[in-house]
Amino acid sequence: MLKLVGAVLVLGAGTLAGFYQAQQFAARPRQLRELILALQRLETEISYGFTPLPDALERIGGSLREPLKSLLASAALYMRPDYGLSAQDSIRKALGEYWKRTSMKSAEREVLEQLSGVLGTSDRQDQIKHIALAVGQLKHEEAAARDDQVKYEKMSKSLGLLIGALIVILIF
Amino acid sequence: MITKDNLGEIDMTLNWLDLFPETVKRMLLNLSKELLEHVEEVRIREERPLEINSAGKHHFLDRRGGLTLRPEEAYKPTREDTHRLLDLISNHSLYTMEEELRKGFITIPGGHRVGLTGRTVLSGGRVEHIRDISGFNVRIAKEIQGAADDILPHLLDRKRKRVMHSLILSPPQQGKTTLLRDLARQISYGKWGNSSVHWPGMKVGIVDERSEIAGCLRGVPGFDVGPRTDVMDGCPKAEGMMMMIRSMSPDVLIVDEIGRPEDAEAVIEALHAGISVIATAHGSSVQDMRGRPALSGLLENRMFEMYAVLSRTGDHRSYKLYDGGQRTLQTAISGQPGGDAYA
Repeated sequence: MLKLVGAVLVLGAGTLAGFYQAQQFAARPRQLRELILALQRLETEISYGFTPLPDALERIGGSLREPLKSLLASAALYMRPDYGLSAQDSIRKALGEYWKRTSMKSAEREVLEQLSGVLGTSDRQDQIKHIALAVGQLKHEEAAARDDQVKYEKMSKSLGLLIGALIVILIF
Repeated sequence: MITKDNLGEIDMTLNWLDLFPETVKRMLLNLSKELLEHVEEVRIREERPLEINSAGKHHFLDRRGGLTLRPEEAYKPTREDTHRLLDLISNHSLYTMEEELRKGFITIPGGHRVGLTGRTVLSGGRVEHIRDISGFNVRIAKEIQGAADDILPHLLDRKRKRVMHSLILSPPQQGKTTLLRDLARQISYGKWGNSSVHWPGMKVGIVDERSEIAGCLRGVPGFDVGPRTDVMDGCPKAEGMMMMIRSMSPDVLIVDEIGRPEDAEAVIEALHAGISVIATAHGSSVQDMRGRPALSGLLENRMFEMYAVLSRTGDHRSYKLYDGGQRTLQTAISGQPGGDAYA
């Protein structure tokens, strides 16, 4: 009896792990898309709105879904004068705190970290170029993420269940 | 010594310290309280000694925040320091400062002004932008209530119950802007500095091209410029004066540093509209005005009824007053000490 309960638990855990993995594969392209849209909005805020960076991040963050919402909001928060942090430090600090909650990978993080070094430090044309470059790189990642989703999403689900089953068989 | 914990209690006006990168801020906080409160300028030049000007004297700062006059002992701000400073004063958004970079200075919350030097980018022979910014002059604005106490009674036309058209002349760094700010405040409140004058406060319009007089942040004055005062912030003087005349019906129009032909035209327009104008200009005597084409016309046509020439020696300020025909009315009224924000 106890064995049976154990087997069901192992099987359940395997399945859940598979579903979680699949969900990550599905969330990454969606979050990437959202990030790209956010950067494009930032470009508009900079080029047409002359909006200061903290205000722009806060405004854009407000219209996004979690976890990007908190990421941008906290970056804007750290830019307040009483923190005394530069734009780069603020963004890096926010990335450090919130990146784990996203489903994105280190390649995307690198793009953002690189962008943070130049954000706000030059004239509009230059800013637009840098943002466009970052958007280009993220689009590339997005395409790869979609491929991964097609390839691995379903597979992860079945794999989770199968691995669970394998463990059960091995134990018995 | 001032620590960050008791800083708030000592003086709210020290919040300009938040602008500086941590390294420089720590040195400034090591200064004595008295010195820190009288700081007029902090000059940061990349890889060259950190300098402060306090009460009319200059000092270099060493790594521990001690004063020295020997450049080789002084702390030399690094590229990292200047980058951080630029990032902080531009609110992380240099791209919003295109106009400011063209003019060579940024005004920051509190009305403080940061002058910038670096490599200029030209477009069609005119300065378009400053790049590689490596030199900063942070001029600390101070509000000295009562700075205009001595001079205001002389600017009143008691018969006609109005303020006279006045021009305040002084070289830079003599406290022109501080004086102008206090004039606006007192006229607006109806404090005339004389017990025999009991007029109510007047409507005051300030055209604040460099955001120095009122120290506006998002259009709201950071200094107390009085309850009946309207401020046109960041607006070219001539255009701003015309806008004020047309739309805000001020009794007194206050404007800083006139000097271009279009400024003079706008002043004439205001005078003819029956509005009293109080303006300032760079110069150390009324005679100096003759040499300036834009201003000499105003002088010859007796547009101003009163000229005040400021001068400062150490901590004391004095005025010389001349009437419209440039006759000396009064010399050397001792002013409030410490009228030293900027000119």
